[in-house]
Amino acid sequence: MVINTTILSWVTFIYLASSIFYIFRMVTGRAFWGPFASYIALAGLIAQSFALILRWVESYKLGIGHAPLSNLYESLIFFAWSIVLLYLIVEWRIKSRNLGAFVIPFAFLFMAYASFSPDVSSRIQPLIPALQSNWLISHVITCFIGYAAFTIACGLGFMYLLKGLGKGRGPRPFLRSLPDREILDELAYHSVVIGFIFLTLGIITGSVWAYSAWGSYWSWDPKETWSLITWLIYAAMLHSRFVRDWRGKRMAIMSIIGFASVLFTYFGVNYLPGLHSYF
Amino acid sequence: MKKTPLSFLSSLKLTFTLLLIIAIASILGTVIPQEYEGGESFSHLSPGLVKAFNSLQLFDMYHSVWFIILMCLLSLNLIVCSVNRFPTSWRLFRKVPSLDRSKPFEDLSPDRVLVIERRLNEVIARVENLVRRRYKRVRRSDTANTTLFQGEKGAYSHFGVYIIHLSILIFILGEIIGSLFGFNAFVNLPEGEFTSTVYLRRQRGIKKLDFTVRCDKFSIAYYDNGMPKEYRSDLSFLKNNKAIYQGPLLVNHPITFDGIKFYQASYGSVPGGQAYITIKKANERQSSIAVKLKDSFYLKEKDARVTISRIEENLMDMGPAVLLKIQSPQGNMRLWVFKDIEKIKEDIPDLFQKVPKFNPGLLKPYYFKLNSIETKYYTGLQVSHDPGASIVAIGAFFIIIGLIITFFSSHKRLWVRLDEKDHRTRIMVGARSNRDPVGLKRETEYLLRHLKKQG
Ligand code: HEM
Repeated sequence: MVINTTILSWVTFIYLASSIFYIFRMVTGRAFWGPFASYIALAGLIAQSFALILRWVESYKLGIGHAPLSNLYESLIFFAWSIVLLYLIVEWRIKSRNLGAFVIPFAFLFMAYASFSPDVSSRIQPLIPALQSNWLISHVITCFIGYAAFTIACGLGFMYLLKGLGKGRGPRPFLRSLPDREILDELAYHSVVIGFIFLTLGIITGSVWAYSAWGSYWSWDPKETWSLITWLIYAAMLHSRFVRDWRGKRMAIMSIIGFASVLFTYFGVNYLPGLHSYF
Repeated sequence: MKKTPLSFLSSLKLTFTLLLIIAIASILGTVIPQEYEGGESFSHLSPGLVKAFNSLQLFDMYHSVWFIILMCLLSLNLIVCSVNRFPTSWRLFRKVPSLDRSKPFEDLSPDRVLVIERRLNEVIARVENLVRRRYKRVRRSDTANTTLFQGEKGAYSHFGVYIIHLSILIFILGEIIGSLFGFNAFVNLPEGEFTSTVYLRRQRGIKKLDFTVRCDKFSIAYYDNGMPKEYRSDLSFLKNNKAIYQGPLLVNHPITFDGIKFYQASYGSVPGGQAYITIKKANERQSSIAVKLKDSFYLKEKDARVTISRIEENLMDMGPAVLLKIQSPQGNMRLWVFKDIEKIKEDIPDLFQKVPKFNPGLLKPYYFKLNSIETKYYTGLQVSHDPGASIVAIGAFFIIIGLIITFFSSHKRLWVRLDEKDHRTRIMVGARSNRDPVGLKRETEYLLRHLKKQG
């Protein structure tokens, strides 16, 4: 095994450890475990960044240099990396660690899928002609930053609903420790906004790439169509907030539905009939 | 609001309904194979279903009448809604916030009030400075013991939404212009050949170009592991038999000629029209010759004239073959000469009994052998012209601008009131914003902090 993939499979376990600490901290309500969770996640992020750079350098040594953003394996890794990065920024901004239990596990899952699924090849492969485009790099980066923001919104949605569970019956201690629902709602909204802008950028850069590679900026292939559906779902969500002032539970559910659509755009489309998939 | 047709057209309910239908339709479109994408896979559907789908135009959904109607309704929805609410936004943009002395300060929380142990005229210049630095269109009004500043910024944020909605209309416009005035075609061009006719994909017709395109050469470069690295067509563009432009066409690097774009889309191979055959005669030196289609040569011993009448790259799955037409006094015959004859004979031992015309030794004493046939590549070109693309690009630019304005700016209005009493100055800071309460709070806290420092 090559060094970068070895490091990356270790990072998987680092994120697992971090997830466990975050969840343990939340369930026991002992803030003591929080810093462990955060620092482990940070260590994982640093190791992962290092591995990504290593992989990049390695591809140049192989004479097929390109940014590590070109196949399913690399995109999954980058997805997880964006999630952890964005999450740690949010954690640092809002000074609360509760969200970690809902977000870092996603990073772990994507890493685990990349590292251990037999369907995902971790080899560094040269770029076929269609993928040799800077637009593609900007496309992947913007899309996955957007997806990461949607992941965070989805984690917040789950948290919101969970907090709601504690209302009627005797409040459980760990539910009480979660941030107020207004704050969760506001945060989810901001995440969706960031995600929406990046998704828009991602669709645009993807269209520019398609235009330069295939001569048509939009051809209704399943991946494009599903990214449009995802975009419409989030657009509908933003409108219902702007115009109808919907908040709270409905928004939480919509951010979960939106994320399901993101996942389908990313994974599910490959199971639809025919046509080119990019990865 | 009265219920009029117009209010229905501008309602968000209509928007949601339309978006939902479009989303569901698009999902259908990803499941039902669309015609122009090949369309080979209808076979597993029952004929009745195919007929039903056909009448609903589900096989070319994105160009069907009902999809276009949906898009028109969506545009109408956006236009009517924007026209309806624009005057309000314009008023908000133009309106000068009131110099009302009391209203902005009603229900002001105590942390928005500051008392400084100085006289009003000692602090006022600095307050004014600060406010003017942070806000635009600052106005001031003075009365005996009170000074009021009023400022605002970000009034343009009311227009973000219109820019977004307008850019969606621009997208739709670009798409319409593209499908009305553009075309999307392809052509397969063998090396060395030229054409000025291309085949339209959707309309299924041909299109004549005003110029000729010639494929001089097609080549593929590979990586060490065998994956393709580069597809390259060297093209020439000719007008009146004069090459006007020559250059390589690569994937991701289209060539534009005369406003028409050429893309490297696919490739394949065709027989190159040249074969190398060997003619052996018992106990004689063998001679290898290169022949082209329609070439012929003379065989003395049999007084025979041999013509190459076909060159096949893969005849009946048995590999390369050439067809020889042999005319001699004994009569005419046809002879297929295969390259892999040894292997074919291994599979079918009694081949020559069954099919004598496959026997390379049929014309004794001569024996024919096909060494190789030359294949040449053809390049598959995507040829398109889309006058809507640049309009769509403009839409893309504006939607980003619109999103940034909508989400990262807000119309903030500020009122700062200073009253003097017993040689002390009381400063009250009131603020409003159409969006982004968090940012507003941060901003006012910043102001208060700075005001306090001055005190
Ligand atoms: C997909 C196409 C879209 C349609 C058909 C659409 C339609 C509408 C309609 C009908 C309204 C007005 C509702 C009313 O007046 O009560 C509206 C408001 C609004 N739209 Fe859109 N919209 C679209 C895309 C977007 C996008 C992409 C954004 C950006 C996120 C956006 C942002 C807004 C905002 C912020 C408002 C509220 C304006 C306000 O409350 O001041 N729209 N939209």
